Amino acid sequence: MFFRILKKELKKKKAMNIIVFLFITLAALFVGAGLNNVISVANGTGYYLEQAGVGDYVMITMGPNSVGELDEMLETEPAIESYRLDTVIYGSQDSLKKGDGSRIETKNVMLMQDYSKTTFNFFDTDNNTPKALEPGHCYVTGNFMKNNDLKVGDILEIGQCDVTARLIIDGKVKDALLGSDFMGNTRILLHTEDYEKFAASEEIRENYCGQVCCIDTNDVDAVKDAAAKHNAAFSQPASVVSICYVMDMIVAFIVLILSVCLIILSFVVLKVSLSFTISREYREIGVMKAIGIKNRKIRILYLTKYLGMAIVGSVLGFFLSIPVNNLLMASVTENMMLGNSLGIWINAIGAFIVVIVIVFLAWLATGKVKKATPVDAIRTGQSGERYNKKSKLHLSRSNRSSASFLAINDTISSPKRYISIIIAFTLCMLFVLMMVNTTNTMQSDRLIETFAPKSDLYLDSVSEAMKIMGHDAEYMEKYFDEKDAKLAELGIPGHFSQQGQYTYQVEVNGKLHRVICEYGFRTDFDSLTYEEGTAPRNKNEIAISTHMIDTLDAHIGDTVIINFGSEKLECTITAYYESFNQIGQVIRLHPDAPVDNKYSSSRMAFQIDFDDHPSAKVIEERKEIIKENFINDKVENAAEYVASCISVVPTMLAVQYLLLGITILVVVLVTILMEISFIADEKSQIALLKAIGFRNRKIYIWHVLRFLIVALFAMILAAALSIPMTKLCISPIFGMMGTSKIDYAIDPLQIFLIYPAIIVITTLFTAFLTSLTSRSIKSSDTANIE
Amino acid sequence: MKKLMEVKDLCKTYVIEKRQNNVLKNVTFDVEEGEMVGIMGPSGSGKSTLLYSISGMDKATSGQVKLDGKEITTLSEKELSSVRLNDMGFIFQQMFMMKNLTILDNILLPAIECDKNGESRKDKVARCEDLMRKLGIIEIAGNDINEVSGGQLQRACIARSMVNNPKILFADEPTGALNRQSSAEVINEIKKLNAEGTTVLMVTHDAKVASNCSRVLYIADGNIKSEYRMPEGLSERDRERSLNNWLLELGW
Repeated sequence: MFFRILKKELKKKKAMNIIVFLFITLAALFVGAGLNNVISVANGTGYYLEQAGVGDYVMITMGPNSVGELDEMLETEPAIESYRLDTVIYGSQDSLKKGDGSRIETKNVMLMQDYSKTTFNFFDTDNNTPKALEPGHCYVTGNFMKNNDLKVGDILEIGQCDVTARLIIDGKVKDALLGSDFMGNTRILLHTEDYEKFAASEEIRENYCGQVCCIDTNDVDAVKDAAAKHNAAFSQPASVVSICYVMDMIVAFIVLILSVCLIILSFVVLKVSLSFTISREYREIGVMKAIGIKNRKIRILYLTKYLGMAIVGSVLGFFLSIPVNNLLMASVTENMMLGNSLGIWINAIGAFIVVIVIVFLAWLATGKVKKATPVDAIRTGQSGERYNKKSKLHLSRSNRSSASFLAINDTISSPKRYISIIIAFTLCMLFVLMMVNTTNTMQSDRLIETFAPKSDLYLDSVSEAMKIMGHDAEYMEKYFDEKDAKLAELGIPGHFSQQGQYTYQVEVNGKLHRVICEYGFRTDFDSLTYEEGTAPRNKNEIAISTHMIDTLDAHIGDTVIINFGSEKLECTITAYYESFNQIGQVIRLHPDAPVDNKYSSSRMAFQIDFDDHPSAKVIEERKEIIKENFINDKVENAAEYVASCISVVPTMLAVQYLLLGITILVVVLVTILMEISFIADEKSQIALLKAIGFRNRKIYIWHVLRFLIVALFAMILAAALSIPMTKLCISPIFGMMGTSKIDYAIDPLQIFLIYPAIIVITTLFTAFLTSLTSRSIKSSDTANIE
Repeated sequence: MKKLMEVKDLCKTYVIEKRQNNVLKNVTFDVEEGEMVGIMGPSGSGKSTLLYSISGMDKATSGQVKLDGKEITTLSEKELSSVRLNDMGFIFQQMFMMKNLTILDNILLPAIECDKNGESRKDKVARCEDLMRKLGIIEIAGNDINEVSGGQLQRACIARSMVNNPKILFADEPTGALNRQSSAEVINEIKKLNAEGTTVLMVTHDAKVASNCSRVLYIADGNIKSEYRMPEGLSERDRERSLNNWLLELGW
């Protein structure tokens, strides 16, 4: 008997059962994929760096006499437990060509090393160890292949000093240490035979070699103190390397938050649909109670039904969650290795959790069975979920058309019914809008001062920068005079300048630090924005980044001793400023500071300022002229330069569109499922309206307008929340990179119109198409409805 | 008297699992203007199917139905909606109402949809209130549908069916879900409307209710087997008694 009722129950309410089943499947899908993502992202860069063998502290030396620079420290420093040391050869994009002789673009300095001798772990795209190289073959890291449109099997020509080699690219490998967008260095892994050809060159050995050292220690501070005494181009704890993945982690965390929201969303929708379906079963429940069936038996009947649906739906959701999981993670794992040791077992655990939650929700929903008397249950079944509710508006006092009035009155009278839709739409849209704000900011010139002073154009050339590194001031003056003269020859009134970074020993209260100092050659830092204090006025004054306050434990008015090599100078801190350079760990020097290019660690792009204050259009025209005459494609305006510095913008844009796609998918699914359940619930009302003369068109309008109201409300909410939420969620991530005081570029057209309009139109279109199913309800169905 | 509704050779066939079920077989009858016609018959005889087919709510398989000389079986869904809105009123046993509207708003809803008189909304509201006053339910105008009794709800349904001054009122077991007192109240209202000139076609299985009609059609096996014209001048009890005698003769 019990199973006969159950069988009938499943057959009779086919539409609602299918809806609940679909929600269960979706929930299992999102919970499975979401949980897997959450665990993978939580492991994050720590897992990746550990697998790669980055250790706890990293030092990189480069330039003449840099090989062996660290040997003494590595052998004598007691805090160092173990270390891995690789010798590398440096080069620039000028050392590289494609097989057909065309140019290669690299963001920063390029490194070559012997793959068979590396102590570092690289990973292929499937996160396995890349196989050994054949002579004449190589691997490349990062986005090198993508940025230069290279494929596996293409030829890469390397020409460094007097040595050349033509190598076949065997593929891309992941480089945990230097492969982040923030580091942006390409490593080329060579076969021993090929590497030795370069290493045999005396010129290369003397000027272009260096070492990469990964140190294991339990006392990072002690290693840091010891490292401060040595001249290294990069000397930072592994935590700093980890922060370099912050932009990749933004994407990962957005995927994580999205997963969590999808999980919450699934449960909210599930709760609503379960309560809703059980409320429709109250008539049967009343009858069963009236004929004396015990509450416990009635509850078990429905629990069995939902347990069965939960198991089947969860199994289906589990299988679907595997490809969805891969899709969600695809955009973040291009340069990283996010993973966990449990694999798809997590998806299975997620599906199991869904089964438990469904049974729990069904248990809660059937709890009302105990309280309701048979008559209550029967009456509630007759009047539906509307029992004990009050209409909020009055048609008699309204001037609206009947369809629009019904839509507005429904949403106001039964708001609970629409909350799950509002939550779903708002959350999804909010993430899209936060991404839009972030990518727009990254593509605007608002962040320019956190990288370099604002100029009309930026010419980025590693090879040109390397030409002047290490040379004296006289050489620099001559070099820049030549550049200015070339501009004048082209009929462009303007001048070149450049910000350089110098590594100096800084003493604060007797403690030594090795700090990157920013120094503007022919630039004026006066016009830059300072968070507090005034710009340095003479060579004895410096500004420090806000992140350096804690690092140095120094404040405005304090004095620090900077060892410029030729002299030690007591400098007073006069201001704080915000910077993304070196993850915010920088000092800004006065133009008169006695810098020595021997200590130059890197140089930013060449800045070009025009003296005649041209319009944006003229600047763009001159950009093309400069590209052509200075033989460099990387001439950018301020906004392009910022995007190029952050370099994760294309990934962010890809995730933004992925999020928009997922949002549209969620909107379509939620709209279809909710509209189908509304039509099922309102069958008698639709039949009645048709019986009293309402046309189908009016029914469609009534139903579509309800979704319009809900979608508009959700979009207004999301747009209004998007600005504070962007500041709340994204600023701390920018803060990890150096500055959290971001003036976001908000595009009102996108935030308040274009993106909300996409969702509203999608909702309306889906609601309309789904509402067409109400056509099958006839006025004569009034005779068949109980 | 003018013929308001003419039904000729009306057939309705349902096909269930490849088996034909002829519910209505060549039903033919007329309804005159101002008449109150009852349709009676055993369960499954096709009473409700007949009502839904002649009111255009369900498509007849064949045959003709004319309302005020206008053939309605050939009308499109859109045209039928217009006929139902302007020329027909419906009362259902289940007392269907829009859940989120008050009683007054439920009555007002078809009036707003109808613009045959070119009335303002204010006038329509006033007319609905007058109708409710007439049916004795004005005090529940602002109530929700679950705050009133079954009798009051059915009277509200009557008001809604009458709000556009239909040519004919169809009632399907209007007292089927009501107690004796509420039934009497509802029937009295329908009688009053009929006395004021509204043509009524009512399906019922209750002889007491049917005795209020001027003519009763007896349907069995999908066809009208007999017709009883109520003698004039009889008391209420005698009307019921004479109808029961007729029904007994038919084997009811």
